Amino acid sequence: MARFFSSPSLVFTSAISLRAVLLVYGLVQDAYSPMKYTDIDYYVFTDAARYISRGRSPYMRDTYRYTPLLAWLIYPTTWGGRWFAFGKVLFASGDIIAGWLILLILRSSKKMPTERASKFASIWLLNPMVAQISTRGSSEGLLGVIVTALLWALLQRRIRLAGFLLGFGVHFKIYPFIYAASIVWWLDGEDREATAQAKGQPQDSLLSRFRSFCNADRVVLAVYSFLTFMVLNTIMYKFYGWPFVQNSFLHHLTRIDHRHNFSPYNILLYLSASPGTHSSLRLESLAFLPQIFLSAVAIPLTLGKKDLASTMLAQTFAFVTFNKVCTSQYFLWYLVFLPFYLPDSTLLHRPSTGLTALILWVVGQALWLQQGYQLEFLGRSTFLPGLWTASIIFFLINIWILGAIVSDVAHRDRPRNVAAVPKKVI
Amino acid sequence: MKQRITYLLREPDELRTEHLEVTGKSLIINNLKAAKEHRLTLSLSELPNEVSEVLRQCHELHIRWASQDPYTSIPPFVSRVSPGLHAFFTPRNNSKADSLCPWLKKIFHPEFKCESPRETFISLPILSERFSMSSALQYHQLLPTLSRLVSYIKSEFCSRHDSTCQEHASRLLSASYIDMDYNAISHALVINALWNEAPDGSSWHDRIERTRDDETIEVGILSNETPEEPEELKLGGFLVVVGDDDTPKATRFSFPSRHYPLPLSISTTYRTTFKRPTGLHPVMQLTLPRASLQPPSKARCSLHTYLTLPSALFIDKYAFSDALTLRSLNLAALRTVYGETDLEAPDWVIPKFGSAALFELATPSLASQSTSLSTTRGTAVKDTDIWTVEIPLHLRYLPPTSGGYTPLAVPWPVVFWACTADEGTRMVVNPFDRVNLGYDGLFGDRTMFYHVPPSPGNGTWTGREAEGRLVETLQVPVLDLRQAWYVEWGTVVAVVVGTAWVCWKLWRGGRMGEGPRLREGRGGRGSSAHKSLALHGF
Repeated sequence: MARFFSSPSLVFTSAISLRAVLLVYGLVQDAYSPMKYTDIDYYVFTDAARYISRGRSPYMRDTYRYTPLLAWLIYPTTWGGRWFAFGKVLFASGDIIAGWLILLILRSSKKMPTERASKFASIWLLNPMVAQISTRGSSEGLLGVIVTALLWALLQRRIRLAGFLLGFGVHFKIYPFIYAASIVWWLDGEDREATAQAKGQPQDSLLSRFRSFCNADRVVLAVYSFLTFMVLNTIMYKFYGWPFVQNSFLHHLTRIDHRHNFSPYNILLYLSASPGTHSSLRLESLAFLPQIFLSAVAIPLTLGKKDLASTMLAQTFAFVTFNKVCTSQYFLWYLVFLPFYLPDSTLLHRPSTGLTALILWVVGQALWLQQGYQLEFLGRSTFLPGLWTASIIFFLINIWILGAIVSDVAHRDRPRNVAAVPKKVI
Repeated sequence: MKQRITYLLREPDELRTEHLEVTGKSLIINNLKAAKEHRLTLSLSELPNEVSEVLRQCHELHIRWASQDPYTSIPPFVSRVSPGLHAFFTPRNNSKADSLCPWLKKIFHPEFKCESPRETFISLPILSERFSMSSALQYHQLLPTLSRLVSYIKSEFCSRHDSTCQEHASRLLSASYIDMDYNAISHALVINALWNEAPDGSSWHDRIERTRDDETIEVGILSNETPEEPEELKLGGFLVVVGDDDTPKATRFSFPSRHYPLPLSISTTYRTTFKRPTGLHPVMQLTLPRASLQPPSKARCSLHTYLTLPSALFIDKYAFSDALTLRSLNLAALRTVYGETDLEAPDWVIPKFGSAALFELATPSLASQSTSLSTTRGTAVKDTDIWTVEIPLHLRYLPPTSGGYTPLAVPWPVVFWACTADEGTRMVVNPFDRVNLGYDGLFGDRTMFYHVPPSPGNGTWTGREAEGRLVETLQVPVLDLRQAWYVEWGTVVAVVVGTAWVCWKLWRGGRMGEGPRLREGRGGRGSSAHKSLALHGF
């Protein structure tokens, strides 16, 4: 085992083989069975790409809720034949690159020996769930590569690149906007603050405090991310008009489909959205408050300066846990940060805690899935109490895990090596 | 007013002179076992103001109502629509047609989902702008009985003492189907009712009388004869123009037809069921005897089914593009689906009544040809006497109820062979032609339809009891309102407790985390105060 992990090439060969085998298996199953291996979303993407190839809007395809860039990225799928799998190969390659970046970050920024780094990178690289999701043709793997690249760029102090990736990520899937808070907080340039203090300038003046807050890194990041985000939006809007704004942004904020999912709000939303039921307080309209407060304010401000990668994990975990819609693909969003947090975590150092967390997380989902199966396939009305209870239990399990993560990260000392990394931008 | 009454005898030899009595201004029908079609043509001026106002907003309006009780059809009355009320409608130029929905609700059912044609009706796909013969908009609602229409006619058309009129209206309650057709060119409303047999299975005793000199009443007592041409129907019997003719006049005529029964050699029925348990993705099953699935004509024919679905159910059109999937369902293709096809929305935000879809079905010969090339494992199981076609549907979320389930009635689809007629066939010369059925507009004008009759179980090839209707009922699971009281506060408590727990962990961890930093003296007290200030500030 030790020999396996000490050679990254072996790990990567296995990761690539795993995906290649799943890819081929998928092709065979699709060719010979009416039960398709390929994810329904993949047909949505490829249909959208086909519309694009005919000079039409990708939004002609129902339920295409993504940036047109995604359809453009998989343009070769429209060439027919074996090219149909191009998108899956791209998503799986995204996985591999994300895994490689994880390894790189663990080795350089965390100063981890290769063997240990490979082990933790394997949480992503050799994870069958990750490999399956991307080879079935779900685009979440691309998010993985975008956010790991963002993290890598930051730790390398390539702020312009980071700004570009942040803007790109938000354009691609909105939720990475939460990272802006932790990144900005983390880019505090404390060395300069110290210089200012040495010069005897009054620390408490609001203006000087604001000035020192707006340091070069933060300004560069803000400008680059905002420009990237807006330039991409403008281009997409120019070509695809209002349907682009509607489907890739507004839909996610105003969606009215409440088909059962893991979210604790799910049943409440069904109840409050349906006619004839009068909710007393319309509390569901405030649901974004705890979500945004924790993931974009409290967690980044408390933890951001201590450990950026683990903060991003906690942010994402909070965002997904408190989201109004939650499906298992969303779990990939935080899974990609696990290799950075886990090495120094209580979950690993106290195996009983870690194991309990893992088991509870799995059992919570199993409980929910059992209720969901009864509803979806057997037609039993399990909304209440079954599904609701299961989603609340799963929520509380996630809260407990999130609590463990944040208190873990909060206890950490601020890493010294961050300031020591040479600044390449400024 | 014009009336045309046609009796169609199932047994031609049964017609004897004692069945008919022509006396001066009336015709008496005695003890006649037959199907009956009664056609009334009314000009706008003969209609109540309310009705003519509605019709003035229409360019064309075709109403089709079919009973949900199965009936045995007889040529030329073999065409079918799904049970319930259908409306095919084209508004007059620039007309909002705002009086149509209130009128439909008034004469059929007050609880119809009908806001306005623009909001509730669905657009028919246009095959060809130039030759379009179908209406622009389509509408459907299930309607088990015409009792409201009957009372409407009794109060609006019949005078209080006109017992004949009252009785005629009541007879609509036992009709197999009713058509109402209006178009702005003819300015006439044609009402057409069909009874496949006399009420209660008995025979007709009618006294048909001309009460006013300006009305014409034409009566035909006819039966089917063997046509000379395969693409024709032939009828023979007697015609009487009531008040003009002293004796029945023998007649025999043939005409090309759009609608045919299945040839006797492959005569069969189909049954519609849902695979149990239905869950949230009900699978509609059509079952037919395998041996009967032969093309009914030498022309190019293919078997089809046409579904009319309420908005609570929808078809995912993207699920029918894969050849393997289609084959496993015994489908050839989804030809078209139109109307409300949103794949996500709950039912309460859907303004349209629903959707309609046309599928081409695979037939055993076709399937065995294609499966012989690949594995035969999948078909071996199905290789029995019954051919099962499956159509996967999906349920929308329905509003919560007290009890957790909502019954949803789904009309049976219609099943027919569509065959291409020879060039030059002129269907319009058919005195019994019937168009605007929804599916006919999806085919070319020269298409012939061979109808497979539905049978809820009294067919010879199944052991099920001879009962049932042409409507299936699903129990849809919904949120149970009786238990909903704790959802709101329960969720809020969970979220508040969850948020508080994470905040506590952050706050406590943050304070303890400051420890080493303070000891190091790096950043100092100022920085720590700064941080907690920032935290509390939010």
